[in-house]
Amino acid sequence: MLDVVIIGAGPAGLSAAIACRESDLDVLVIDEFPKPGGRLLGQLHQEPTGEWWNGIKETEILLNRANTLNTKIECGVSCHHIEKTETGYLVHTSQELYKTKKLLIATGAAETAAPIPGWTLPGVMSIGAAQVMTNVHRVKVGNKGIVAGVNVLSAAIARELQIAGIDLHSMALPVKNTVTKDHAHPEKVMEGLVRIAHLAPSPFLRFGSKFAQSSKVRDLATKFYPKGGFKMWGMPIHVRKAITQINGTDKVESVTMCDVTPEGDVIPGTEEIINVDFVCIAGGLYPLSELASVIGCPFRYLEELGGHVPVHNEQMETPVEGLYVAGNITGIESAKVARAQGAVAGYAIANEPERLKQAMQAVKKIREAASIQFHPQIKAGRAKIHRAYQEYV
Amino acid sequence: MKETIICRCEEVSLEDIVNTANTHNCSAREIKLRTRAGMGYCGGRTCRPAVNAVLEDLTGEKAGHNVPLKVQPPVRPVTLSVLGGNRNGH
Repeated sequence: MLDVVIIGAGPAGLSAAIACRESDLDVLVIDEFPKPGGRLLGQLHQEPTGEWWNGIKETEILLNRANTLNTKIECGVSCHHIEKTETGYLVHTSQELYKTKKLLIATGAAETAAPIPGWTLPGVMSIGAAQVMTNVHRVKVGNKGIVAGVNVLSAAIARELQIAGIDLHSMALPVKNTVTKDHAHPEKVMEGLVRIAHLAPSPFLRFGSKFAQSSKVRDLATKFYPKGGFKMWGMPIHVRKAITQINGTDKVESVTMCDVTPEGDVIPGTEEIINVDFVCIAGGLYPLSELASVIGCPFRYLEELGGHVPVHNEQMETPVEGLYVAGNITGIESAKVARAQGAVAGYAIANEPERLKQAMQAVKKIREAASIQFHPQIKAGRAKIHRAYQEYV
Repeated sequence: MKETIICRCEEVSLEDIVNTANTHNCSAREIKLRTRAGMGYCGGRTCRPAVNAVLEDLTGEKAGHNVPLKVQPPVRPVTLSVLGGNRNGH
């Protein structure tokens, strides 16, 4: 019987494993990707301070520490079911059945698809897939592409694709339907754009972002949004244009783009065909919590945290005995926060109260200092989920 | 205009789901079972949020704090031999 199984070898899972190994617990980390690091591997961006965040290097640092502590990490292993027993958990994987006293689920987040006609054609991919192909596998995803979906994640990854020398025509919204909703609503997208404007190199856009903090000004800005889009790193970002269809017979050949009203409705007669050979769909992220759901952990739906999140406290403990969560499964935030949360979970599992206290303070500090906030109300969301935990004790 | 596919594994379009909802005037779960949306090879990994959004819109059923349409194991595509513990053919 293992002391703890950690599902997910991303920043949260690895730092949790390190914390547990410091107390010499019998730990096993599993991950379905062939390499450890999770989505950290794909990250490469410049912080507003000018410093570069290189996910591969950050992963190496974690792995070196984990290896020094003789941590068992199994990659290419998928967990498909978990059962709670009297003494712990049965972890069913594609390889083995593991028995463990405690369990940490650090499965991160998944991408929400934005279905638009033609999105199943070869050459259409999620923005995260483009990131992994570019930065992890070093495969060029295409010659000229377009991004459907304007948000914090897609802007950051679009920049990474640019740095890798991939030509992007522009970023625009997906066409409005029951699924794309807010992602296809220019005024709502503008709210999100304002939050990342400080990362743009253009002083004009930064200047504009100050004004756009007020919703009235923001709505005006949406109404009078320039036809050519605002440029970020030389690439036009359109919030008044939507991709209505992806065209091609066997693969992507072009997209149809239309002007839209400030509410996202297509303006007839504005169709324009843009030749591209790949399309990145960016519908945002949601916490990947299937395994917690299978175990029967209670959930809360909190938009601030990105969707349905397992109930947990500040020590990353759920109301289900011996079950812990860390990283993006607890709410969409940066890899730095995920890594810090992993340490919290690890020290909580290892029952190291002093280190736990320090790790909890570190999470707060890192959250305060975050340059990219996926959701402006993240702290309110965190407070709500921690309060929810109180209902179960 | 091309159709909008919602579930690509089972090739279920938005139109299929809307038609099923209108014809049978039934629950979100029944629509899912009738159309097989979200029940394909990926186990809903790609389309789960989309299927949830469409079904909520059509039926007015709000999932609230419970995860919509219950998650069932296996949550990953695995072979029957893995599930049966007989992967070496014995």
